[in-house]
Amino acid sequence: MKKIIIIKTVFLLSVIFLFNSCKKDYGNLNNATVEDFLKNASPGDLNNLVSGTEAGMRNVIDLYLDDVGTIGREGYHFLTSEPRYVLDLLGASNGTLSSSNFYITNPWAARYRVIKNCNTLIQAATNSTLITDGQKKGYLGFAKTVKAYQLLLNLNLTDSNGIRIDVDNPDNLGPFVDNTEALTAIISLLDLAKTDLSTASVAFPIAGFTGSGTERFDDAAGLTKFNRALAARVAVYQQSWTGALSALNESFFGLNKDFNLGVYHVFGTGSGDQLNPMFIPQNQTGETRVAHPSYATDIAAGDDRINKATLRASPASLNGLTSNRDVWVYTSVTAPMPVIRNEELILVYAEANIQTNNLAEGVKALNIIRKGHQLTDYSGAMTKAALIDEMLNQRRFSLFFEGHRWIDMRRYGRLNQLPLDRAGDDVWTEFPLPVTEQ
Amino acid sequence: MLLKTVWLFLILLPGILLAQNKTLSGQVISANGTPVAGATISVKNSSITTIADADGRFSLSVPPNAVLTVSSTGLKTQTIKTGASITELQVRLDEDVARLDEIVVTGLSTTVKRRNLANAVATISSKQLNGTAPAQTFDAALEGKIPGAYINANSGAPGGGISVKLRGVTSVYGNSQPLYVVDGVFVDNSSTSAGLNVLTKALKTGSPTSNQDNPSSRIADLNAADIENIEILKGASAAAIYGSKASGGVIIITTKRGKAGKTKISVSQDLGTIKVRKLLGVRNFTEANLARDPAASPFLVQQFKDAAAAGAEIHDYEKEVYGNTGFSRNTILSLSGGNDKTTFNFSAAQKDESGIVKNTGYQNTAMRLNVDHKITENIKIGLSTNYINSSADRGLFGNENSGGVTTGVALSSTPGFVQLGADAGGNYPANPFAASNPLQNIALGRNNESVNRFITGVNLDISLQKNSHSNTKVIARGGVDFYNLQTNVLFPGILQSQATSKGTSIQGFTRSLNTNYILSLVNNFTPSDKFSLTTSAGITQETGDYNNLLNIATQLISGQSNVSQAGSLNATQLRTKYLNSGIFIQEEATIIDAVTLTAGVRFDRSSNNGDEGKYYTYPKAGISWNLTNMGLLKEGFFENIKLRAAYGQANNVPAYGSKFTSLAVSNITGFPGVIVDIQAGQADIKPERQTEFETGLDFSLFKGHLGFELTYYSKTIKDFLMLTNLQASSGYSTKWLNAGDLRNHGIELGMNARPIQSRNITWNTSVNFWMNRSKVTKLTIPSIPQGSFGYVLGSFQIQEGKSATQILGLNGTGVGVLGDAEPTFQMNTYNEITFFNKLSLRFLLHWKKGGQNVNLTSLQNDFGGTSVDYDNVSNKAGLPDGFYRITQVGVSAEEFVQTSTYLRLREIGLYYSFTSLPVKWVKSVRVGVSLNNYLTVTKYNSYDPEVSNFGTGFSTGVDVDPYPSSKRANFHVTFDF
Repeated sequence: MKKIIIIKTVFLLSVIFLFNSCKKDYGNLNNATVEDFLKNASPGDLNNLVSGTEAGMRNVIDLYLDDVGTIGREGYHFLTSEPRYVLDLLGASNGTLSSSNFYITNPWAARYRVIKNCNTLIQAATNSTLITDGQKKGYLGFAKTVKAYQLLLNLNLTDSNGIRIDVDNPDNLGPFVDNTEALTAIISLLDLAKTDLSTASVAFPIAGFTGSGTERFDDAAGLTKFNRALAARVAVYQQSWTGALSALNESFFGLNKDFNLGVYHVFGTGSGDQLNPMFIPQNQTGETRVAHPSYATDIAAGDDRINKATLRASPASLNGLTSNRDVWVYTSVTAPMPVIRNEELILVYAEANIQTNNLAEGVKALNIIRKGHQLTDYSGAMTKAALIDEMLNQRRFSLFFEGHRWIDMRRYGRLNQLPLDRAGDDVWTEFPLPVTEQ
Repeated sequence: MLLKTVWLFLILLPGILLAQNKTLSGQVISANGTPVAGATISVKNSSITTIADADGRFSLSVPPNAVLTVSSTGLKTQTIKTGASITELQVRLDEDVARLDEIVVTGLSTTVKRRNLANAVATISSKQLNGTAPAQTFDAALEGKIPGAYINANSGAPGGGISVKLRGVTSVYGNSQPLYVVDGVFVDNSSTSAGLNVLTKALKTGSPTSNQDNPSSRIADLNAADIENIEILKGASAAAIYGSKASGGVIIITTKRGKAGKTKISVSQDLGTIKVRKLLGVRNFTEANLARDPAASPFLVQQFKDAAAAGAEIHDYEKEVYGNTGFSRNTILSLSGGNDKTTFNFSAAQKDESGIVKNTGYQNTAMRLNVDHKITENIKIGLSTNYINSSADRGLFGNENSGGVTTGVALSSTPGFVQLGADAGGNYPANPFAASNPLQNIALGRNNESVNRFITGVNLDISLQKNSHSNTKVIARGGVDFYNLQTNVLFPGILQSQATSKGTSIQGFTRSLNTNYILSLVNNFTPSDKFSLTTSAGITQETGDYNNLLNIATQLISGQSNVSQAGSLNATQLRTKYLNSGIFIQEEATIIDAVTLTAGVRFDRSSNNGDEGKYYTYPKAGISWNLTNMGLLKEGFFENIKLRAAYGQANNVPAYGSKFTSLAVSNITGFPGVIVDIQAGQADIKPERQTEFETGLDFSLFKGHLGFELTYYSKTIKDFLMLTNLQASSGYSTKWLNAGDLRNHGIELGMNARPIQSRNITWNTSVNFWMNRSKVTKLTIPSIPQGSFGYVLGSFQIQEGKSATQILGLNGTGVGVLGDAEPTFQMNTYNEITFFNKLSLRFLLHWKKGGQNVNLTSLQNDFGGTSVDYDNVSNKAGLPDGFYRITQVGVSAEEFVQTSTYLRLREIGLYYSFTSLPVKWVKSVRVGVSLNNYLTVTKYNSYDPEVSNFGTGFSTGVDVDPYPSSKRANFHVTFDF
């Protein structure tokens, strides 16, 4: 018996000894970790964060455009396997928007994920000793500009329910702020970014910022122009008309420049790249994105923007809704998607001028848009009210399925003018906050 | 040299001591007089043992006045005092109806008889598993057979995919599936996604994989025919000694081993058919119906009119797609035999089955060789080797967001008047009602999983020391489970749904290596007849290394599936790796064969824990007290009255990577980027800890012809692992957290009986009843809907004070509890009636009462306007029912949360044995017919009440157009040589 005890004791001791020598931590075999990048990031690491940020801006962007485009009655997304696009978003019967459903939770999370990446980029650039001060300012300016833009997109969805601005510490998030305060915060973030960019040297690749010809947006000056273009958009949301005009002044805005000059989300077929998620070939069945029937009935004869809603071989219909035109804004898997472009800036210029009673300048800008789309000059009443109608009308067709109609109608208190297609349908003014935030 | 002499002496020693033995011979027979082949005859308190031959005969040399114990699986053990004069005897072994003499594995290397067991350990014999109406895969063969388990098939797709939850949900998003141990080898049961999300977009994040890809579980690879028996340790009180991986319970599988004697050869052949269990029916389109339907657009009405005017054929596409009759064949060859030094069992099996949907099916070819060899009298080695090649063509089913790419969703919006069949040239027309033509998808698409797998185990048993009071052994057990899994998904560019991708080929390659070993030292110390002690101690280690590479090619060169023949190629790789190690000590004491005390402790650590060096301690203890053996109660009406109680803890380690905050890779037109992952790391993640207490009463009546087993258990899961949804504004969506505590408690009542035993008829029956209730006792995070599809359609939600599996949803006035996935109770009964020892009728009936599913299949059909009862008007609004139900979306989810009660005749088989045959070289021929899944009584309105769109995870019972379940009819014939 004694012998056995000794054997066992020796055995156990040797086992314990053996064991303590073989503890293992395999680390992360699949990805880099955030901690790796925060230590002392090289320019290469920081450039990766920049590209990741830009790539992430495209995530779930289709759902954002469907949310805004469906409620704004620009079109329908028919998907036989997903009733909620045509039930919840259009307020069918007694249904309401749910705080736990994909149409709010997914885009909301995608935008804040990019914001997290911007914050990581800011922190990594701040911690890095391997870059110059000018380079650091470049990363900071880029990160803050993108952050402001992402905040704006979420605010567009939740409107008076507001957004969180301070989200740097995941364990201690800042409060929700209302729409007015949020817009102020977004503008001041853009201003901070502008200051950073004023002393920055930018030498990192940003794929969708190459502009056209000599007008580039991937250097410090170009990024500043992009930043100001966004500031102009935010300013009109704030009804700060003079603010909008002065921001336009520093942006890439030009009455005679190409409508399509601007910054884009770009897509590719490379490994890990994304295809344009808004692209659906014409005449598809099963999944279609079709224009609201009023797009074709309301558009002026001869307007070339009718080509954004091409006639289908046979109509598409689902749950009592029918349309015979496909949305044809994104015409290939790699078609770029505008973040902001000159056509919008011209319309912002028109809006700010009309609102400041500079009607002639407003009409001049509107006529540039009209002329660009094969229409004759504006011939309606030269009143502020009539010109606002015309401006909103031009925005509707010029910025079709670029995420504006619903927001425009909301900020002018005209949501009740949007058409209802079925008895019991509703036009929502805003999305509820995602359930995780409540 | 000296050492060798000592060894030799030790080996010869018993022989020297037995010099004055006499030879005893005899025969072992069963209650009805048939010989019991393979019975074990051993002399008590010695190592003398032998095995009865095919005629039940044995002979062995015994000391005078030896006490013999004669035992055989399934029969009651007999103890016989031989006295001085007897040299010839006949031993009759009664059927052990209450299975008190069954040997049950209780430690990593120790066993105990059921009569002394402190836990309710369920066992499934080979006959119950595979001898009634064999299922397609091993996992399906378990269904309805384990009291205390909630077993649910994910879908009817060939190749399996089944969730097994023992005694309630043991984790929330952590692994809740049991550990499978085959002959000592920890066998991998993971599910590998084939990247179907690329096609289905069921998960809208752009990830190529999702938990909605409906892969099979790897345990399905095992060949059920190889299995001798299965023991199920249902919770921590029994399974604690398995440590890190045991919190979901342990399923211990023992495969068939050879017996010394003449080589037995057996060939068996099954042939059968497979048919759809149920079709839902399709809508009858008429002009009048369409006129009343507010959801029917003028265009749809026009399409119908045009089709009617053209005299178009009206199809029942549901029937055309799911109505195929599959054929199955299964051939098994087995050889077993050996001598007293070496025994072996070899089997080779091949199964080939086609499915109820064309171009789907399952093949499995398996070989097994089990060899046991005595190197010396004191060193025994056992080897188990198994090679498996399986292949499953599973089709594309389930949830999606692609406008009708999966078969069920495409059918749901396709009316019968549209023509989808191929023309003479094999060209399929485009389906104007969905993104794909389901007939074309089935004909030209492919979704295959194929596996090459080796499972090898070694069992080494070395006797270090042996005398009349004590013996000490080293038991070493271990093994390797290695497989290569290839997933092959091909949707060629010619398909309607491939207009954008122009052909998609998703080729996945997975390499998985799992190893484990247990080294232990076991001492049996028997100072007297009345007292014995078994001490075991040892170390264990488990490793896992999983590497999955998924290549997604689109823009294919026409006709090519090779991923390099493509315009666009995406690759993703996922690796996980872990090392768990443990130390255990266990002590078992048996006092006068009536009181058994067990205590043990295990120390465990895992590389997946936040602190990988930290040992967590898991104790266990048990007591069983046999009142009649003790002599406290007289054996009379009640026999073998046993009280038992057991307590234990086990854990579940966090998922690999839970502790890291990763940066996901991205690419934008060639610029590589990183973006913070949606999952935040939790650096101090801990394992979840399960504590289980169970107690019970067992007794038998009528000389063991009626046995009862009553059990109550309560288990708490502390710090349960939950992939929690964070406030998304943090930039993270999810994080693994130890989020709270939950409790499961329930009862299990079992009865084994032999109501009839006569010369010509015996009827064995077992009836089980079990139920479980869970409650979340603590939740440290805000409660939000999880899994499923939100309140609008019904969603799971963990809430403090509520059942862990409750289903919440809109109820017309707000959000309320609409159901619970947990069944109210379950019952089963397994019966075997034998006539004249030749004809045997066996059946298994399973009743699941209560429990709700989230049924979106019927919603999908309503939404697509094709449900069979669409045009009925039974609602208050006077609208067509199908349309009315759609108007309830966003108002109430009550329509979708449906009770999934069922009563199912899972298996029934009739077998006849011919034993006296004209030719001598054939020993016996057995023929049989069987039906599997043929009769189900349920009001549930979809293909099958057993369903899970989200696989084996937490949110089970969500029904989104699955592969419909099937029923099987088989003819069996077996020749024994």
